Amino acid sequence: MGIQIDALKCNACMACELACGYHRDDAFALLSSCIVPYRGREKKNYVGVILKEEDSLVAARPEGVEINRIGEEQDPEKEADASAKPMLLRESCDLCDEVDGGPLCITFCPTGAISMA
Amino acid sequence: MEYLASDKIAIVDLNTRDIIEDELDEDLVLDKIGGAGITKHLYDQHSAGNPIVLGTGLLTGTLVPGASLGIMTAKSPSTGKVSHVPLNLDAGMELKYSGFDYIVIKGSADKPVYLWIHDGILDINDAGDLWGKDTWAATDHIRDEMGDDLIQVLCIGQAGEKASDLAQIGINYWQSADRFGFGRLCGEKNLKLIAIRGMGLLEISEPEAFVEDCAELIAAIRSNNNTQKQGIAAVSAALGEEDLSDWLSPLTHRHMACFNTPVATNTFLFTDEDPALLEETTVTEPGFLFTDIFPLVVLKKAGLSAKDAGLVLKACAKYGIDGAAVAELSAKSGLTSPEEIEKTFPDLKGPVESTGKSVFSPWAAMGQDINANWERRQAVAYILGLHPIWLQMATDLTEKKLLDLAGLGTEMEFTPDTLDEVIGDILA
Repeated sequence: MGIQIDALKCNACMACELACGYHRDDAFALLSSCIVPYRGREKKNYVGVILKEEDSLVAARPEGVEINRIGEEQDPEKEADASAKPMLLRESCDLCDEVDGGPLCITFCPTGAISMA
Repeated sequence: MEYLASDKIAIVDLNTRDIIEDELDEDLVLDKIGGAGITKHLYDQHSAGNPIVLGTGLLTGTLVPGASLGIMTAKSPSTGKVSHVPLNLDAGMELKYSGFDYIVIKGSADKPVYLWIHDGILDINDAGDLWGKDTWAATDHIRDEMGDDLIQVLCIGQAGEKASDLAQIGINYWQSADRFGFGRLCGEKNLKLIAIRGMGLLEISEPEAFVEDCAELIAAIRSNNNTQKQGIAAVSAALGEEDLSDWLSPLTHRHMACFNTPVATNTFLFTDEDPALLEETTVTEPGFLFTDIFPLVVLKKAGLSAKDAGLVLKACAKYGIDGAAVAELSAKSGLTSPEEIEKTFPDLKGPVESTGKSVFSPWAAMGQDINANWERRQAVAYILGLHPIWLQMATDLTEKKLLDLAGLGTEMEFTPDTLDEVIGDILA
């Protein structure tokens, strides 16, 4: 069971980031969110979604999903993602297990880009 | 102001470089609600300084679907009226989280400056290195210098620096809805750009009830055909304007939404790269993000290809000139080549039909008359902080619903009478 992301359906609206941030902070804030649309390539319109899980960092790229196991060596050629608080320092996705209605990111995504496997 | 706010207003005097900070008084919010209600009030209070007032709607940055809006309020050099430019994409959100609710920018600097607004700190910095740069170079320079690609940059180009009446203030690399010549106003103030970045937090008075309401709204929106459109062509058709789909789709890369806005009103066209490419392109400038329907319709009617329209509007964005005005004037002169059109920029002058006649930008008035109904809906958008194009499609977001949400979020009561009064003041 886990969060599945179809990056091609994502329009980078950030509703998921705000919803998860609310789940973490009981307020509207973006820094604690586990799920973050990647916005660091604005002129190239290259957009995907990053998700922090317990053991891995999921990069849902338009060309396919990439799962990076935390603790394993990464490709030194690859540039790090741009975000205010590095993803590895954030809490891991808990699938909103105590939330009625399930994961808030799924509830608030307007395009159905996020689903539960 | 405890909820849904940073509780901070800044008054900046560009002449003296003084910055006065104050709280956001709850009485002001009860009286004027937010967004254009408060920016107009602050404009009037500081009008002697010919101010530019930045602000956000009461609900901006929350989970209310479409709550993306920032506002820039000033007296338009083109119309002479106190007008409002909607700050969409991610700029409104960033302003809301920047640590400031409202910023008044009075007077003029003696030499080029920029404002750096970040986490409750406002700096007035020297813009000597930036003056003369096009908006893309200036935005890149700021993001590189600060080491943050997510900084939102409201920027003028050479058009604004030369105080052209068609100058526009843009958002990052893209065209904004500035049809009022605010770019010229910034240039006259020696204000090159406003850089914004914030990691703030907004407390909610009744978080569970508020978010539950938002969840119900988004569920209704997802099951409604009208709010399933994605992309500028679909939005254009939905508003009763020309359908641009066939013209744009061969070069369309992806549709991009403004912050928390269910319908993507912006479309990225690849002019110099295969639009079917999924991986990150190696081309540095593969295309352009279309954020404005009107110039597209005009350029299409003038016979330009979608690619050439992309090249023209990219040039407009870089030069900081209103694409709607350029489209209109080029069509009149019968120019169709991007190179020829770009050559006209330094000498291009108004008047143009596309200048905003209402106090709200006509960027959101495609396919409709600018009548009392349209103005009221715009006023609601600009006060509560909803995307002005989205709000026209989102019929579930009634005035009552929005006022209820405002109450749930802030523990304050906002009545329909107050809303009427605030709208009256803005339109006066």
